Amino acid sequence: MSINIDRPCGTFDRNYFQTQEIFRTPLRKALLAVLVAGLFLLPFLTDDYGISILTIICAFSIGMLGLQIITGYCGQISIGHAAFMGIGMYTVGILQRHFGLSFWACLPLAGLVPMLIGMLFGLPALRIKGLYLAFATLAAHFVIVYVISNWRSVTNGTDGIWMKRPGPLWGINFAADRNYFFLVLIITILMVYLATNLTRTKLGRALVAVRDNDIAAEVMGINIAHTKILAFGIGCFFAGIAGALGGAYYEYVNIEWFGLDDSIWFLGFLVVGGFGSIFGAIAGATVWKIMDEFSTVVTPLAETFLGGAAFYASAAFSLVFYSLIIIIFLVFEPRGIAHRWQMIKRSYRLHPFPY
Amino acid sequence: MEETLKAIVLGSCNGGIYSLLAVSYVVIYKSTRVFPFSQAAVLIVGAYIMWFCLIAWQLPIWLGFIITCLAGALLGMIIERAFMRRLVGQPILASIVVTLCLMLLLRGVGIILGKGNIQGFGESFLPVGAWQIGFLHIPEIQVIGFILCTGLIAALMLFYEKTRAGLAMRIVHEDHVMAQSLGLNVRLVFQYSWAISCVIASVVGMLLGNIQGVGLALDANGLVAIAAVLVGGLESFAGAIIAGLAIGILQMLTISYIAPLLPGETTMVVPFILLLLFLFLKPYGLFGLTRIERL
Repeated sequence: MSINIDRPCGTFDRNYFQTQEIFRTPLRKALLAVLVAGLFLLPFLTDDYGISILTIICAFSIGMLGLQIITGYCGQISIGHAAFMGIGMYTVGILQRHFGLSFWACLPLAGLVPMLIGMLFGLPALRIKGLYLAFATLAAHFVIVYVISNWRSVTNGTDGIWMKRPGPLWGINFAADRNYFFLVLIITILMVYLATNLTRTKLGRALVAVRDNDIAAEVMGINIAHTKILAFGIGCFFAGIAGALGGAYYEYVNIEWFGLDDSIWFLGFLVVGGFGSIFGAIAGATVWKIMDEFSTVVTPLAETFLGGAAFYASAAFSLVFYSLIIIIFLVFEPRGIAHRWQMIKRSYRLHPFPY
Repeated sequence: MEETLKAIVLGSCNGGIYSLLAVSYVVIYKSTRVFPFSQAAVLIVGAYIMWFCLIAWQLPIWLGFIITCLAGALLGMIIERAFMRRLVGQPILASIVVTLCLMLLLRGVGIILGKGNIQGFGESFLPVGAWQIGFLHIPEIQVIGFILCTGLIAALMLFYEKTRAGLAMRIVHEDHVMAQSLGLNVRLVFQYSWAISCVIASVVGMLLGNIQGVGLALDANGLVAIAAVLVGGLESFAGAIIAGLAIGILQMLTISYIAPLLPGETTMVVPFILLLLFLFLKPYGLFGLTRIERL
């Protein structure tokens, strides 16, 4: 297993159970417990504004995990990920509006519908790869946005759809932001666990093999078409769940949230976070959403410098600075924050020695 | 019938512009093997520079044209030198993300230049009349745009065929390593390619800005041209030109026959549906090279 490298000296696996553990040493288990406890304590330390940021970070982390599976693990570049997140949101919105289903019934469907559509648009992957597949997903983005914004009878067009948060469960009322955050956090942890385990299965290793050299993978007996399409399906499933959780937080969904920009930011901040690692996806989503908050703070400044309406100043600020950050990361640290984090961990582990 | 003929004539005028744009993508792709998504936004910057020259600084048209071309060339060289050169040899994902981000970066620059407003050229700098040929009503501006596009493409092809620099670029198109071993400066060729492509995109930007108004919406044309590049085949100038014309005509036919049936911006989505069809059926486009890979 790849994580063996990170272990302190003298940690041996003595039985199969130990080889399968994700967190192997007691220190790591303790740190995990502290992290999870800290995450559950966080909402008590901040106000509603902080909770809203945390909720959105969690939702986008799930979406970013989906892109990590498609692009980071399987190597299929997707420039349409935001659109799949949009499908997830709209699935919940439409089911609630037209069929009156509860959020709990919608949530699995919000994953499955984007999954099927993602597999459909992933079909060109049977014949093409790399740049060509990027075009297919770009086209998918435009087609999906067109359909959603113009199929008025179902999607209410560009006016968006009002959604409902999940109803009370075991006496917990999710109308309160803090309670809803706990729900999102639990689902996020579950999804992170699922994604981590996915990378340790046969399918996960097949994904990496297809990314690294698809011809060699085929020679080794991996069904490339099957693997690629499954990667698209799973990635879009994650995107759909993320969309459903994010949309239910705002209790509203609008297709204008899912521009081409967002699809590009998804890809760009995945690079910032780090390629091919679960931690990288979460780090990327976190940086992205913190930058979003930062840009709303800086907008008044941008306004005075650039003049013009506030909306445009903020749009220009985010476009210029986000893209600069992503480009700088690609030039100077193409393996992202996750790689930096690995280096820090390694130097801690090897402390007195440089390597 | 009348409607169809009209669509074909007007469509090929628009298609000429798409062809030129598609060629600007192919110029870079052929020599650097990087697909320049950023050209869609270079349009916006070019259009705004022309607008500044003509409206804000009140310069004559020929001077504005020259300044815009020079600014385009400079922009292309800066992009190549500052960003793309550092990414040579990186995986394809890096170049895709960087060019996509450059597209958004230049969009942001466009917002700053225009303060978020759509600007017009006031009085068009090209003639606004229209010719009446039979039942066809053809705006002069479209025809002049088409002629300018054809002229530029012809000039580019002559440059490739007749000059020494063009020959060097054609060698780089074939193979980077071979070109380098022949003593050619491959980096310089990359820089030329970006400069040429950005000049073309800026010229298209000012043309389209004159027709559609100078604003951020201009990059939609660039995105449609991406569909044209793919349909024609990434490595082929002829393919880009033919597919550009075809997509222009297809858009006009869409306006006459499909748009009344469907709501929304059908003209924007139809080229991408065509692109998806091509990716399913003929992934390397009409004239693209089919890559055969081995271990």
